[in-house]
Amino acid sequence: MQNKTVTRRTFVKHSLMAATTLTALSGRRVLGANEKVVLGVMGLGGRGTYLAESFAKRSDVQIAYLCDVDTRRFARAREAVEEAQNHKVVLLQDFRKMLEDRSVDAIVNATPDHWHALGSILACQAGKDVFVEKPMAHSLWEGRKMIEAARKYQRVVTVGTQSRSAPYVKQAVDYVRSGKLGEICLVRVFNMMQHAPQPAAPNQAPPPGLDYDMWCGPAAMLPYNPSRQWLNQWEYSCGPIPGDAVHQLDLARLLMGDIPCPASVSATGAIYALKDGRDTPDTQLAAFEYDKFTLLFESALWTPYMKKTPMDVRDTDEMPNWPFNATRIEVLGTKGFMCVGRHGDGWQVFNENSSLIATVPGRQADQEHQDNFIQCIRSRAKPAADVEQGHYSVLLCHLANIAWRAGNKKLAFDTRTESFPDAPEANRYLRRAAYREPWVIPDQV
Amino acid sequence: VNRNTIKPWIGLMVLTMLILVHATCVHGQWLALTNVTHRFALSELGGAHILIEYDLNDTNVSHQVPAYLFIRYRKQSAQSWNLVSPQLLQGRQVVTSPGHNQCAWWGINQAGITNLDQVEIRIRALAMARVPAGLFRKKSVPGAGHDSSKGHKDPFYLPEYFIARYETTVAMYADYLNEFGTDGSGWNPKMLDAQRCGLEKLTSGLYKALPGRANYPVNYVSWYDAAGFLAWCGLRLPTEAEWEKALRGGLYLDGDDSRKIANPMPERPFPWGNEAPDAGGVYRCNVDGDQDGFAFTAPVGNFRRFNSPYGVGDLSANVAEWTLDWYQTSYHAGLDGFRILRGGSWMDPPAGVDAVSAPTSLPLKSSSLMGFRAVFAP
Repeated sequence: MQNKTVTRRTFVKHSLMAATTLTALSGRRVLGANEKVVLGVMGLGGRGTYLAESFAKRSDVQIAYLCDVDTRRFARAREAVEEAQNHKVVLLQDFRKMLEDRSVDAIVNATPDHWHALGSILACQAGKDVFVEKPMAHSLWEGRKMIEAARKYQRVVTVGTQSRSAPYVKQAVDYVRSGKLGEICLVRVFNMMQHAPQPAAPNQAPPPGLDYDMWCGPAAMLPYNPSRQWLNQWEYSCGPIPGDAVHQLDLARLLMGDIPCPASVSATGAIYALKDGRDTPDTQLAAFEYDKFTLLFESALWTPYMKKTPMDVRDTDEMPNWPFNATRIEVLGTKGFMCVGRHGDGWQVFNENSSLIATVPGRQADQEHQDNFIQCIRSRAKPAADVEQGHYSVLLCHLANIAWRAGNKKLAFDTRTESFPDAPEANRYLRRAAYREPWVIPDQV
Repeated sequence: VNRNTIKPWIGLMVLTMLILVHATCVHGQWLALTNVTHRFALSELGGAHILIEYDLNDTNVSHQVPAYLFIRYRKQSAQSWNLVSPQLLQGRQVVTSPGHNQCAWWGINQAGITNLDQVEIRIRALAMARVPAGLFRKKSVPGAGHDSSKGHKDPFYLPEYFIARYETTVAMYADYLNEFGTDGSGWNPKMLDAQRCGLEKLTSGLYKALPGRANYPVNYVSWYDAAGFLAWCGLRLPTEAEWEKALRGGLYLDGDDSRKIANPMPERPFPWGNEAPDAGGVYRCNVDGDQDGFAFTAPVGNFRRFNSPYGVGDLSANVAEWTLDWYQTSYHAGLDGFRILRGGSWMDPPAGVDAVSAPTSLPLKSSSLMGFRAVFAP
């Protein structure tokens, strides 16, 4: 049943400070071996609804809460979940009510980027495990705070980068590690997309049913505009390119042994094709220098000839048409060349004669990734896409963004302090300039 | 069977079903046609044709709320039924008056029909509302993707079109499946749910509305299912703009050609006006909860006091309605587009059933929340 008793006023009144009491209020439930894992979902857009339905179909999971600041999003998710699990759910605009419920073991955080960190940290403080969608954090600093919260409250926090759970990817990691490619000096990561321009419309009052104040949360409360797509605005997003490309960068890092931070970043890019009022680039290239190799990243939003893997190729033994595949990773060694695809595409290796010497087909791994999360909730083991790995992957997005915003500069990166020692003007992008009260992430989580 | 008389099965079916439906519901199914006859005719200039005569019994049919007529035929040597091309009916598809009517099906020799023994004919009529040509206040701003109406201007011009007065019903859909989908395509086992849909597949392979469910909106239909049904009728889904204008009305309710009847509420968010669907404890459509009288879907036309200015019912709530437009997300660009739904459903809060709220769904998805209605654009 929909909870209509929590108003925005009462929600704001109970500031973030109150969240620190949630741990004491809720405590931690001891999960029996045969007990269902009880989940709540915050954010009921396309991805959140998909995850809610997917988890609801599991026999070892029960969805107890569906939360969204926009009540117009309730119906679709509610219908899918209740039908899948044959059990009613509670609908909330204020997800904090869910965090107060001791019976909830974990939450799925599928909100927009600017709510990922705060929602996840509050959940950790309340003793909940977290499945947070990518990109995991809106800023580099927020990512670090998420790790701190996960460790401090001993929570399982996993990121929705499901390729990490794919068996074919593990085989690719083993192949790279075997040394058969020789010394790997260059990794090229592509993520080409096709976005349409956002339509123009005047600002207007938020529609009934949407708590726009809470939607903005820690970000600035810009005037409501139905045409403005949050993905294209720094205030709420890491940008449309990182929002998708973080999958690719995460996969590349994994192939290279989960290498943490690069020593430097240089970037270029622009808004070339989609001049529609957005402030995020539609063309973005970055070079990350590691100790033994360089990672080149290339992405754009306007390349219709380079498409993501077609549906009739995904999850089959067929290989993508690599030159026109928009989501490939190329691993260049001194002895061999490897092409890896993301959507269950598999991978292939070519030798110094350009001859094909290895082919491993793949399958997508949403199910395996969810399996891993549920197993880790029970075992307390670190998940396949642990928050720390999620941080190091989205960190590459942040570095590329910062280098571009700082004027397409090359920036040395101090991996210890996670800052730019030689570019104080770039350091201001490491953290949101101002958090809107009461949605402030404290220094000490 | 009298060879000169088309089987009057439609009228019988409608009569039977009308007895079963909710007492306050009207026009939920095909309009009743009786005394249907057909005969060969020849004209000097146009050649052979079949002249079809019938009585359209619904006295509500008028210029404003006409009937859409479509004819399907099967040659006796063939298994499948075909739609008579609209071009061959000489513009007689929109019928504006009840009583005795006729239409001519031209070009029958070209269809391989040389005598009446060779062909079975079925004729059906659907209640429509006329939406006159003219400007309207288009307030929705679809996400990036395909907009069939080619733009987002406000005010926005649309030529004349006709939109189904009600959502497509279980009975209509069963009729379609019985003629077209006996192989099981278009039917979803979830349709058996007697509370939410109520469409049964019999062991004979035929389909039948469960008792009392004929006049409810069909749901658990994918976008493709809806498109299939409408192609069978010679119709299509409304664009977002057509759907929105049908709800709100043009700047002039009699259209820009006349401009005699100004729309008193050209920016209305709901078909009836500005009041919320549950304002003052009066429920104007079938939203979440059972205080409106329905815990699940409601029979079409149940809230006809709150129809749109053109007499279109149930645009708000009951089932969200598939439209022709699609939305391309950043993550699925280059793949199949998400289709846009309008109007909200029986599970939506009042805020979600207005003129602009527009969730999206993959076209293969189906649920108890989603149905559709037809549009005819001459």
